[in-house]
Amino acid sequence: MKLAFVVQRYGAGIAGGSEGHCRELAERLSSHHDITVLTTCARDYVTWENALPAGPATENGVPVMRFPVARQRRIKIFADLSDEVFDGAAPPDRQQEWFKENGPDTPGLIDHLRSHGRDYDLVLFWTYRYSPSYFGLPLVADRAVLVPTAEEDPAIDLSVLHEFFDRPAGYIFMTPEERDLVSSRALHSLRDSVVAGIGLEPVAATPSSRAPIDQLGIPADYLLYLGRVDRNKGCDALLDNFQEYASTRKDVTLVLAGPPKMQIPEHPQIRALGYVSDEVRSALLAHARALVVPSWYESLSIVLLEAWNHGVPALVNGRCKVLAGQVTRANGGLYYMFPAEFDEAADYLLAQRAERDAMGRQGLRYIDREYRWPTVMARVESLLQEVYGRTSRPRRQPASAAGVGVN
Amino acid sequence: MALAGETSVPVDAVMTELHSRVRERLRAQLLASGGSRDFEDPALFADVEALLHAAAGTPEAAKLILPELLGEPDTWRLSTSMRYQSHRSKGPAALLILVKRYILMPAFRWMYEYSRDNFERQRRTNHVLFACVQELALETALLRRELRRLSGDRE
Repeated sequence: MKLAFVVQRYGAGIAGGSEGHCRELAERLSSHHDITVLTTCARDYVTWENALPAGPATENGVPVMRFPVARQRRIKIFADLSDEVFDGAAPPDRQQEWFKENGPDTPGLIDHLRSHGRDYDLVLFWTYRYSPSYFGLPLVADRAVLVPTAEEDPAIDLSVLHEFFDRPAGYIFMTPEERDLVSSRALHSLRDSVVAGIGLEPVAATPSSRAPIDQLGIPADYLLYLGRVDRNKGCDALLDNFQEYASTRKDVTLVLAGPPKMQIPEHPQIRALGYVSDEVRSALLAHARALVVPSWYESLSIVLLEAWNHGVPALVNGRCKVLAGQVTRANGGLYYMFPAEFDEAADYLLAQRAERDAMGRQGLRYIDREYRWPTVMARVESLLQEVYGRTSRPRRQPASAAGVGVN
Repeated sequence: MALAGETSVPVDAVMTELHSRVRERLRAQLLASGGSRDFEDPALFADVEALLHAAAGTPEAAKLILPELLGEPDTWRLSTSMRYQSHRSKGPAALLILVKRYILMPAFRWMYEYSRDNFERQRRTNHVLFACVQELALETALLRRELRRLSGDRE
């Protein structure tokens, strides 16, 4: 099949869940499909500043076509517009304006889809919230596969999305909760879809050495938070919960590994390491008593899967349906909704060693069952064949056959 | 809980046990701080907690009855977004909006964001309270219906 992958940013050095997912799929599918990645020249997801050369390139064997961003994101105007449209009852034109301001505003990419979109058998779009997906997908709706990476954040309640979510010919979801969320926002039941997620490679069978974290003076009993330390990730509540908890448990430490984007309190039981090397990251994951994921909004927590891949259980924010669903399906940890539950769940994971280890193993079995690359790619491939098979027939038939195929 | 080694540990069972411990802790704290003596009955407390828990978990996007009955949202709903408006005629209005947006707003953005965050919390609390009232009204209506049925049975 000739496939186009539309994504807001693309490249080996670009961090980001949806961008990483797109790149993994492009590289893995490129051996048996003709793939072109259509993306922007941006590296920075806040400003969308042009940083990479426009035009064709090849990245790890995958052809990439980059289009310049016409205008950097106007942060304050975007913030005000976000307040306005998330406040509810904003008219459709203001909601559409929100997608335009969110960017990346890439007219060349949209023009390409308008003039060449039908040269591709299928066009896959990553992340519903960005301008290339919102404005590009309707141009090739009959062959579009959406990877929404939707979360239960305010954007998902925009009323213009009811119609948008009806348009794609197929969907690739990260979790069953994400599928249910998008289904609940679409006007009609969704066409072909698959819950695929992302794949992980097994970690080495030999236990990871503690040496890199011993050098940092990390004690044995620690809970680990991995990622950007940010209010948007629920870290403010985590730090409050933990400080309350630590007042009665002097033997436990919270280790934060990731760039700080907020004030971290000075506390003898909180260790903020900032950005850490892959070696330290891996050792932290392997030896943690539990990984803490305090986020309210997730379409799939990759770091949660990584913890299970190391056989480590998780303690997650139960108000995020995706996290609670993942933990329950995997039997790989516990969830909390308020501070008293955080205390009890943390106590349980720290004190009940046998049960904690069993939950970690159960998490690992879940990864083996659901999130190895061959399993994930088989799901994706099957969905693409299904959508192509269904949508290509009406394209090739004369007008008299209209009405057959796409429902 | 006697679960160890290779034995499977079902999360649902552990969470049920943790919830029950948390409930007991809350009940004890409530009674110690002078709460209703009716909560000395753990089963009653569990019923009350379950009802409020369900209401507190109502999704933000869920439609509720009470807000609909309150009428036009502009007359009661907390509005947390900044709207640049002026009642003056076209030319002066444009100038005023320009001043508000590009001079006053950048200077006071920190204060606006501080207030907005607090209003957001209040809005969320209102939503939960609306949901609680609805849940209680539903419960009352069901009990009334049951009461009527039972009195009918006796007659």
